[in-house]
Amino acid sequence: MSMLQIETDPAGMDPTAVPVAPERGMVGRSPGRLAWERLRRNRTAMVSGWIMLFLVVLGVSAPLVELLYGIGPYEQFQDRIANNSLPLGYLGGISGDHWFGLEPKLGRDIFIRLVYGLRTSLLIATSAAVITTAIGIVLGIVAGYLGGWIDAVISWVIDFALALPFLIFALAVMPTVTARFYGPRDEIDVPFRIAVMILLFAMFGWTGTARLVRGQVISLREREFVEAARASGAGLGHILFRQLLPNLWAPILVTFSLAVPGYITGEAALSFLGIGIVEPTPDFGVMISNSLDYMDGDPMYLIIPGFVIFLLVLTFNLFGDGLRDALDPKSSR
Amino acid sequence: MRTRAALAAGGALALVVGLSACTENTDGNSGIDPNRQSSGVIATDPKDSLGPAPEVPGAVKGGTLTILRETKISHLDPQRIYNFVGLNTAPLFARFLTTWKDDGKGKVTLVGDLAETPGVNVNNDCKVWEFKIKSGVKFEDGSPITSKEIAYGIARSFNPDLAGGPTYIQEWLADTAAFDTKWDFKANKTSLPPGLTTPDDKTLRFEFAKPHCDLPFAASLPSTAPLPPAKDTGVDLDAAPFASGPYKLTKNTAGVELVFEKNEHWDPATDPVRHQYPDKFVWQFGPDATAQTDRIITDGADAATLGWNGVATSRVAKVSADGTLKGRTLLEPTPSANRLTINTQRVTDLTVRQALNYAIDREGLIKTLGGDYVASPMTTLMPPSTLGFKSFDVYPAGKNGDIEKAKATLAGKTPELVLVISDDSGDQEIGTQLKNNLEKAGFKITVRTTPSDSKLDETKKKNNQWDLYLDSWAADWPSGAAILPVLFDGRNIKPEGNSNTSFINNDAINAEFDRVLGMDPAKQADEWAKIDERIMKELAPAVPLYADVAFYIHGTKVGGLYIDSIFGYPAFTRAFVKQ
Amino acid sequence: MLRFLIKRLLLGALTLFAVSLVAFGMFFMLPRDAVATMCEKNCNAERLDRMRDELGLNDPLFDQYTGYMKGIFVGRDLGSAQGGRCDAPCLGYSYTNGEEVTDIFARVIPVTLSIVIPAAILWLGLGIGLGMLSALKRGTVFDRLAIGFSLTGASMQLYFVGGILLIVFVYTLKILPPPRYVSLWENPLDWAAGLVLAWMALAFLFSAVYARLSRAQMLETLAEDYVRTARAKGLTKSKAYGRHALRAAITPIVTIAGLDVGGALGGTVITETTFGIQGLGRTAVEAVRLGDLSTIMATVLISAVFIVVANIVVDLLYAVIDPRVRLS
Repeated sequence: MSMLQIETDPAGMDPTAVPVAPERGMVGRSPGRLAWERLRRNRTAMVSGWIMLFLVVLGVSAPLVELLYGIGPYEQFQDRIANNSLPLGYLGGISGDHWFGLEPKLGRDIFIRLVYGLRTSLLIATSAAVITTAIGIVLGIVAGYLGGWIDAVISWVIDFALALPFLIFALAVMPTVTARFYGPRDEIDVPFRIAVMILLFAMFGWTGTARLVRGQVISLREREFVEAARASGAGLGHILFRQLLPNLWAPILVTFSLAVPGYITGEAALSFLGIGIVEPTPDFGVMISNSLDYMDGDPMYLIIPGFVIFLLVLTFNLFGDGLRDALDPKSSR
Repeated sequence: MRTRAALAAGGALALVVGLSACTENTDGNSGIDPNRQSSGVIATDPKDSLGPAPEVPGAVKGGTLTILRETKISHLDPQRIYNFVGLNTAPLFARFLTTWKDDGKGKVTLVGDLAETPGVNVNNDCKVWEFKIKSGVKFEDGSPITSKEIAYGIARSFNPDLAGGPTYIQEWLADTAAFDTKWDFKANKTSLPPGLTTPDDKTLRFEFAKPHCDLPFAASLPSTAPLPPAKDTGVDLDAAPFASGPYKLTKNTAGVELVFEKNEHWDPATDPVRHQYPDKFVWQFGPDATAQTDRIITDGADAATLGWNGVATSRVAKVSADGTLKGRTLLEPTPSANRLTINTQRVTDLTVRQALNYAIDREGLIKTLGGDYVASPMTTLMPPSTLGFKSFDVYPAGKNGDIEKAKATLAGKTPELVLVISDDSGDQEIGTQLKNNLEKAGFKITVRTTPSDSKLDETKKKNNQWDLYLDSWAADWPSGAAILPVLFDGRNIKPEGNSNTSFINNDAINAEFDRVLGMDPAKQADEWAKIDERIMKELAPAVPLYADVAFYIHGTKVGGLYIDSIFGYPAFTRAFVKQ
Repeated sequence: MLRFLIKRLLLGALTLFAVSLVAFGMFFMLPRDAVATMCEKNCNAERLDRMRDELGLNDPLFDQYTGYMKGIFVGRDLGSAQGGRCDAPCLGYSYTNGEEVTDIFARVIPVTLSIVIPAAILWLGLGIGLGMLSALKRGTVFDRLAIGFSLTGASMQLYFVGGILLIVFVYTLKILPPPRYVSLWENPLDWAAGLVLAWMALAFLFSAVYARLSRAQMLETLAEDYVRTARAKGLTKSKAYGRHALRAAITPIVTIAGLDVGGALGGTVITETTFGIQGLGRTAVEAVRLGDLSTIMATVLISAVFIVVANIVVDLLYAVIDPRVRLS
């Protein structure tokens, strides 16, 4: 997913930043427990974890927030919009009724749209992260363990996927798919668009995990416990998923936790370019893309959604970072 | 610690930025007159068509005027020019049979350009027209322009390889829309199309099968520009047109830059409208509207520059609020009329169409478009700039629409309608606005997006499957004849490529069209306003929405620019560069 | 070495071939009619079909593909509708404005290079410098600040950073002109002034990766026996670290850098959109929007070439920097 990754997510899917598999099994009883203790001692990780959780809860309970706040994401307040299409008053129309102000032109409430935007964003990012991690694990283990031509083919497919310009591809796929599935009089459903976006991420996003897992498996496959399993006549499936996989969970967990913010960014980027989520569905990318036109007249329109998505990604990254430190004490400070 | 550092950094940034946001936005008024009316005449006195054009107060010679545009001009071959940028650039390097004297405020006079008068209606039946060509008019190489070269220019517009330009004259001569099959230019390069003759070097004669009283108007389009057959380079003329106007193209870097320099063979004494003040006109392509606006606000190196794409939406608030910029903006309503077309083949119930007209919130829509510097509300099918325009509102509902009246008109019905819009972000916001607006009145609106490039073609198909779509029409001359029959004469409905996208076909209205079209052009104006009102009342085939507003900014050294009253874009005939 | 290079080149060619097939297939799946955008006012079905014929769009797909590929290697003749003879490397003519695609590229590639190369120098220098320093000063305030800075950068969105930079430097403080591209050879000062915000935004975002990566690598190698031995043998700190530690730490950095730069050259759509500069990225996006086959093919291929070449270069650099790596 070269182009997207380059521009939107330098950190998230960077495979070499993930720790080398720590040598587990010799630590003692429960490495998971030890890691948890270390994580709890990490104040940064815990604070960002709590903020993260708050944002997630806020997004998930969006309809409840709407009920309490009393304003819906599609309601327009055009009487609060001036003739020049910008919100009346100070700071983009911030007031007691509209905590984060109003959108120029249509005059919708920014706060409630951000809350709903959180939901869309998290839904897409987590689904995409789950799917890509799963594909990455399977292909990575298979390529790493079996080697030979299977490895060559999978490695080439990874190179190929990296060489395809993701954004151009996404830009072509979206209208093609929608034109195939919807009649001329049908509205294109939001869930459908979301599904296509997740699919697109799945097609391009698995390469990082696959590469990482492949490398790890290569270093593990000659180890004694694998040899032993092989010698005792264990089947391929058993060796791959019962012997090798449990030894990979630490780096996988870290990749996963860093992939989520990566896809949050990626989703916003696609929508920013008009490929992903579109009007009138609330979305960070769409909001920021629209707001670029108002940097001069109404900067708060850019700053508020920009800051919220920054906070979301930052807390995910900090938490993922803390998780990495906890799972791999060697690489910590 | 990490969190704190990060948050502190973020907070500091927010503070700097927040400070810049601390100004109150209040409701202003653009001061634009939405009902500015046009008055126009066709010059009968040959003296009106004589040059030179009156000097522009304060104008000086010399300098280079630069015009910025986001994309290149698609055609420079006069026979292929049809978009606004081409239409307003063409007068720099080409002359036409007739042209408009225009004060930039709606007062226009049609005069002869290469012709001595804007045409003679020989038998007063609009079937035979004669134009006498002026003496002393020359091409850029000094060779004289005669009726032969003008006729050749018209003939080559029959060539399907040179498509893109207007087709009025071709269709009228051939008496069919498929004019290129009626007369094949490529097989008859040395002859002329049927009905077009040049009795002598000074006379050009049109003979039509049917009356076409609008010929003097149609002849003002660049497709009547002259060309010597020997200079016809076919498709390559697009890159290097052969000049007859005050400037000639001296440099053409494809997609990047055009340079026009003075044509010394142009004689001001023969030209009633053009001047030759700047030494050069330079077109530069690339920067988008925002970049153009920012550069011109900064002035300095761009002091002699105009941004063709207008004040960017994002800069409208700033430019309109800044008093120091007022002196170098141009703000006028344009003849581009936008309407919400109702597909009457599908929405057959007149009350539904009327209810749509009652429900429409024009103020909200204009806010969504970017405010009153972008659009100006309209309740008629013809824009106010049309000759003889009369303001009326058949469905009075205030500026925000009358939801109750609409509901009452619907009488309990909840029509389910599909609105198709293009997939660019601006259109999508309009879709949201219209959906929310109309659903308040009880309509159930489905918004369907479709790729912007194909939307136009699809809605022009007779059997398209949508109920509502946005359409705009900019007439080629400010007469109802170039608007109402084109948009609402049902006898011209074709399987695709229709301008009558409401697909109405009403015998009484069609008969009215025929009656008025046969009248003397000067007497038609009032009649068109009456037909407009009648169509709205009896058929309601569309919801008139707004007319585009032209809002431009130029550098401090630019003078003499105006928004032309015919197309509503910046015109260069009087432009000069202050020294 | 040579065998490795040949193998990589062959694989790269295979990748490019597959990319070209995908790009070609993509175009024909698009629900766009490229011809409709060319055929202006008063277009009819018959004229559309004639134009499709002239563009060869009515030919079998296989012929169209081979025709295009032939154009790249030996040039080909296109009909008068498209500007005639087109010499190798022929990328065809843009459907939308009739310009030769190679000319479009000659115009936009310098723009993209002007954005990416200085930005890459900036982000590599900043990132590696910060990473190394904070590794050496582990645990100090500097270390923590550097990490905080890099994490902030990594969590930012380009369009957000870009927007903030524009608001601060262009609209509020007014110390920089609005972003634009001026050729370096025309006026180096304007060139820099027009692009410096884009460089800053990219550098801020990207240096994060390098700071984190180089810090981790540095810490790891500093703990290695041979570095400690070198120190014990009396090598000065700077020599030991500079000669041994840095060298080993730089290998994985080169890998990422190669991919990053290769990818960024393929198009910086978001950077270009945010700053309103017309480079390769926006050209590509517009081509897809308008269904402009020649331009789509060319931009996809060019960006793939950048990435494939960057990959090969990285592998070669590996061998140069780290003698332990053997190419086979």
